[in-house]
Amino acid sequence: MLSSEEIIRTIEMLKNENLDVRTCTLGISLRDCVSSSATELCARIRSKIKKVAGAMVPVCDRISNKYGIPIVNKRIAVTPIAAVAEALDKKEYVAVAGTLDQAAHEVGVDFIGGYSALVQKGFTQGDRNLIATLPEVLSTTDHICASINVASTRAGINMDAVVLMGRAIKEISLATADHDGFGCAKLVVFANMPEDNPFMAGAYLGYGEPESVINVGVSGPGVVKKELERALEAGKKLTLGDLSEIIKKTSFRVTRVGELIAREVAEGLGVSFGIVDLSLAPAPTVGDSVGEILQCLGLKSVGVPGSTAALALLNDAVKKGGAFASSSVGGLSGAFIPVSEDVNLSEAVAQGYLSLEKLEAMTAVCSVGLDMIAVPGKVDADTIAAIIADEMAIGVFNHKTTGVRLIPVPGKDVGDKAVFGGLFGEAHIVEVRNVACSSAFTGFGGRIPAPITSIRN
Amino acid sequence: MGAEEREGNEWVSVSVVGHDRPGIVAGVSKVLFENACNIEALSQTVLMGQFAMIVVVSLLKGASIAGLKEGLEALARERDLEIHIHGIDPQEQLPYPADETEPFVITVRGEDRPGLVDAVTAILAGEGINITRLGAEVVPVGGRQEYIQIYEVDIPNDLDFARIQRALSERGAEIGVTVDMQHRDIFRAINQI
Repeated sequence: MLSSEEIIRTIEMLKNENLDVRTCTLGISLRDCVSSSATELCARIRSKIKKVAGAMVPVCDRISNKYGIPIVNKRIAVTPIAAVAEALDKKEYVAVAGTLDQAAHEVGVDFIGGYSALVQKGFTQGDRNLIATLPEVLSTTDHICASINVASTRAGINMDAVVLMGRAIKEISLATADHDGFGCAKLVVFANMPEDNPFMAGAYLGYGEPESVINVGVSGPGVVKKELERALEAGKKLTLGDLSEIIKKTSFRVTRVGELIAREVAEGLGVSFGIVDLSLAPAPTVGDSVGEILQCLGLKSVGVPGSTAALALLNDAVKKGGAFASSSVGGLSGAFIPVSEDVNLSEAVAQGYLSLEKLEAMTAVCSVGLDMIAVPGKVDADTIAAIIADEMAIGVFNHKTTGVRLIPVPGKDVGDKAVFGGLFGEAHIVEVRNVACSSAFTGFGGRIPAPITSIRN
Repeated sequence: MGAEEREGNEWVSVSVVGHDRPGIVAGVSKVLFENACNIEALSQTVLMGQFAMIVVVSLLKGASIAGLKEGLEALARERDLEIHIHGIDPQEQLPYPADETEPFVITVRGEDRPGLVDAVTAILAGEGINITRLGAEVVPVGGRQEYIQIYEVDIPNDLDFARIQRALSERGAEIGVTVDMQHRDIFRAINQI
């Protein structure tokens, strides 16, 4: 039997602490759509997406109402388009992108991920075509998200791809200059990209995934913060071990919500249930911030000394609680620190507490990487490539996923603000020091070899 | 107590109400035991000093309703309690078979005022929805006191739950309280291992 306390506590989490399912992402394989005719391929893609995802939004809405849990975003992830469209010419990739965009609009999802290529060891012609079309696709479509895997622990870092992505990011930024370079917010450069990630912009359906599958990402920074506050206000002397325990228990609750919703949506659509992504994903509203959790843990602001240690504690406790709650855990699973999407992080940049270098250090112990960071528009492509290379090295050499979502904002500099809107939020421009000092390094090209897995120091 | 021993037995519901004090449950259960009754289900609560209990018992071999009634009446006089008994048919316990309903929880939150229970239950009764548990209390929420009613209800599968949610929410808005209706499993998932 449920106790009144359990019922009241649950209602509080839902109503006042921003507990929600951040994204319900339907993976759809497009492998059976392949054709050497662009017209044929586009027709098959559109038909398949409408068939599999046609009921997605109403099914999600019904289940959301049934449990009183908001499902904030409904999204689709598809097989990497570089492979699906391999037989086409470069200009035909843009037509495929147009079809994906239109199909996403027709079924009512906000984003469709999978305009992707995996090039950690080298390029196929399809991969090159896809990367070459990124500026046009990300500046002319509304719903498409792109991701490029340029590195892995088994393959090392493809520096030719890293350099190419530095240039692509600059071009996308310029192509969307009237929106503060927003096109770059729809592209992630990855190391060890997960095949089942439900979060955009990096969601795609991996080659080892089923025909169609539901993966969900839960939220919960607000719930974790409130639980910590309640415990601290109770006045009992607590250690960091005690605080970790509180985070663990909260993560358990949050993950259980995700699994319940994911299983029911999957059943409603007649597709497989995949994974729950244990990530703490902030939203650009007060009370739903990873930065605020670090402040609860006693830091004046995110970015001050102690931030990496506190984030490591948080990230680990989230994983432990979540792994106990569900046997189907995957995706990125960890705390996110997307600067523009977390109002507290964005303020920490404005007040000078949080720098690019500290963010990079923090990504060694949490999920995702250098995420949603607006940098001055004048930063050159090779410097961006070198920042990507650094972040890829953290992922590759620590056997974890890292990503880079940098947004060079045309015409803006440190002290200015980029405004993206909605879940993407707004960001104070982060200073990039020592610009134009790395091109000789990146210019070597080739591949940084895969790391040795013994002698781990 | 094996199922076969109870099969075909008569079932009786015993309800007890009175001013709360130690020894009421002991007194009732002693009479039940002495009259060869087996307790099948029991629910007891105390509300502002008032004791209330309902017990469903099966009569075992050698038991008689007349004997049980006599024993309970004597106890009622001795302890100043109101005790009622009546026979029930175990086959007709639920208005709906359990597999044809879904369990939901309705919460009403806001300022206490007369007519809140009436407003909610009128809608439920009109739809033929059975309430399985109802409680109301004042609880601390986020540093302030809040009045909350919690209903556990069974919604027949052939009813559109979204329509009931809307009706409850709209009625709540009219009378100045927040009314939500959510499937019970969300509370279980969050709170129970």
